[in-house]
Amino acid sequence: MAALIEARGLTKTYRLGQVDVQALRGADVDVARGEFVAIIGPSGSGKSTLMHLLGCLDTPTAGRYVLDGEEVGGLHGKRLAAVRNRKVGFVFQTFNLMPRLSIEENVALPLKYRGGIARRERRARAVAGLEALGLGHRIGHRPEELSGGERQRVAIARALVGGPAILMADEPTGNLDSKAGAEVMRTFEALHAAGNTVILVTHDPNVAARAERTIEMADGRIVA
Amino acid sequence: MAEAPGRIAILLELVGDAVREILAHPLRSLLTLSGIVFGAASLVSMTSIAVGMQAMAYRDLESIGFPRSLRVRDQGPRGDATRAADLRHPGLRIADAEALGAMPGVASAMPNIWGTDQVIVGPAGRRIAPVEGVAAGYLTVRNNRVIAGRDLGPLDISNVSRVVVLGEAVVADLFGTAPPVGRTLTIGGTRFTVIGVVAEQVYEMAPIDNSWITRRMYVPWTWAQRYFREPGRIDQVLVTARPEADLGDVIRRAELLVRQRHGGAEDYRLINEAAEVRANLAMADQVLGGWNAVMYAISIITILVGGIGLFSVLLISVRERVREIGIMKALGADEGDIRRLFMTESLTLAVVGAVVGVAAGAGLIVLTKWIGTQFGRQFEIPLHWPGAVFAIGFAIAVGVLFGWYPARRAAGLDPVEAING
Repeated sequence: MAALIEARGLTKTYRLGQVDVQALRGADVDVARGEFVAIIGPSGSGKSTLMHLLGCLDTPTAGRYVLDGEEVGGLHGKRLAAVRNRKVGFVFQTFNLMPRLSIEENVALPLKYRGGIARRERRARAVAGLEALGLGHRIGHRPEELSGGERQRVAIARALVGGPAILMADEPTGNLDSKAGAEVMRTFEALHAAGNTVILVTHDPNVAARAERTIEMADGRIVA
Repeated sequence: MAEAPGRIAILLELVGDAVREILAHPLRSLLTLSGIVFGAASLVSMTSIAVGMQAMAYRDLESIGFPRSLRVRDQGPRGDATRAADLRHPGLRIADAEALGAMPGVASAMPNIWGTDQVIVGPAGRRIAPVEGVAAGYLTVRNNRVIAGRDLGPLDISNVSRVVVLGEAVVADLFGTAPPVGRTLTIGGTRFTVIGVVAEQVYEMAPIDNSWITRRMYVPWTWAQRYFREPGRIDQVLVTARPEADLGDVIRRAELLVRQRHGGAEDYRLINEAAEVRANLAMADQVLGGWNAVMYAISIITILVGGIGLFSVLLISVRERVREIGIMKALGADEGDIRRLFMTESLTLAVVGAVVGVAAGAGLIVLTKWIGTQFGRQFEIPLHWPGAVFAIGFAIAVGVLFGWYPARRAAGLDPVEAING
């Protein structure tokens, strides 16, 4: 199976005042197209840093990273933003929806930043994405009018709207009750079944158990 | 494949987003705008008023009729004269006026006799007033108004008629409340018939007090000449150029003519009224230019202060929206997207402020006109477009200048740090 992610020796060092903090000490990661991977580990283990690097939100201090056939480890600024926009869809623990925008406007945002797509087209694709996740009846509403589980599904629709190569979720069930969390996990499983590549960061073993494979981290290293 | 949006659609969307953001904080936006609004309003209203007043002053001065005329005034013999020519001092004479009147390009050459104070006796009382000898049409050529009866006519002059036009202010002393036209009075013992009453033109703007006109009496200059002066002598000639004539040329030829006729004697004086008016107007222009420079300076400072308000509000907005900026970046917005977002907000605020300010300035102009009408004055104050254009242009510059740093700061945020607040 074709490798979607091929990372070698990813290292991230932050400078906190006078001391260097090594958040990631040389991680090798391979993810095949269509895989469902969970990254687990206690807080401070470097799992969020790894996700930020794999999701092109951040640049590694050292190491090589090939995403979907493109060398992205050394990209910065505008070019990194473009890769992030086209290849990565993010889902966060706290949903991170824009409170003043309607849910379809929220979902359409990645297309807006892609540029060159007319507003009507963006809206149509956002509405289609929301309908596919069973949120068609919520169109026109603002995030605050929705339940937590619905908000997270809006966030998933937003992550998917641009047709990314990879869907990345950081503790997606962390702010949800068990029923809503289970529903969100079913959504991820359905998306995986439909052929999407999903990487999920969690410290919850029950959530990690739903993935095909787990990457376990401790002290900035992959331990299993 | 759907059609790509055009530049205008992109711009409209940016502005739409900015307006939405501005309307989300109406009070804060209003306070931010106030400096730019006040600056633009004061610039537009004050420059409009200054330019409008200047135009009115110009019209007043032109309506007096001075700019097309030249006065030649008798000087009499010079006290310190030693030259033979000066001692001959023929003085200003009727023949000079006739020669000037015959010159090409001259519409009229009107002789004047300054009379002296005379005892005037009318039916209702007496008064001492100056009596002036004037030509037909002299009173109205300078825009004074004959408010009863008629002006002196050519026949009154040629017949040396004993007729008089009274200044409005002396009528009551001599005739009480009765209408004076057609009645008689005596000037130094000679009986005159009153043919008219003259009142001065009141000007809106020109600093001219013509009220002395209403305190005199006007008789045919031919009568006054015989009564007050030696044969042939007159006190002044008012030469008015034809509308199509070159005024400078007429003045030069008039000067040459009088000099030749007087054989070089300096017993007359030329008063170039056009030059005097031009000098007055130039001074008015200078005052106005200074005023406008001050208004521009004050407005620039006010708009700049408004820009500082804009700057701090944008910085607050960036700080408030750090997390939003992080989300946008996570969704693939690049630095340009974020920078455009804040620059558009800054420019929209600045332009809205300037446009509201220009509208407020126009309102102040209307208010000024209304106050004028309450005092019986008709002010004509058109909007001074250069001021309005400058206010909007400068506000745009301020929007760019003070939006630049907050926008750059927002665009430069690290996405991971921003998204974690």
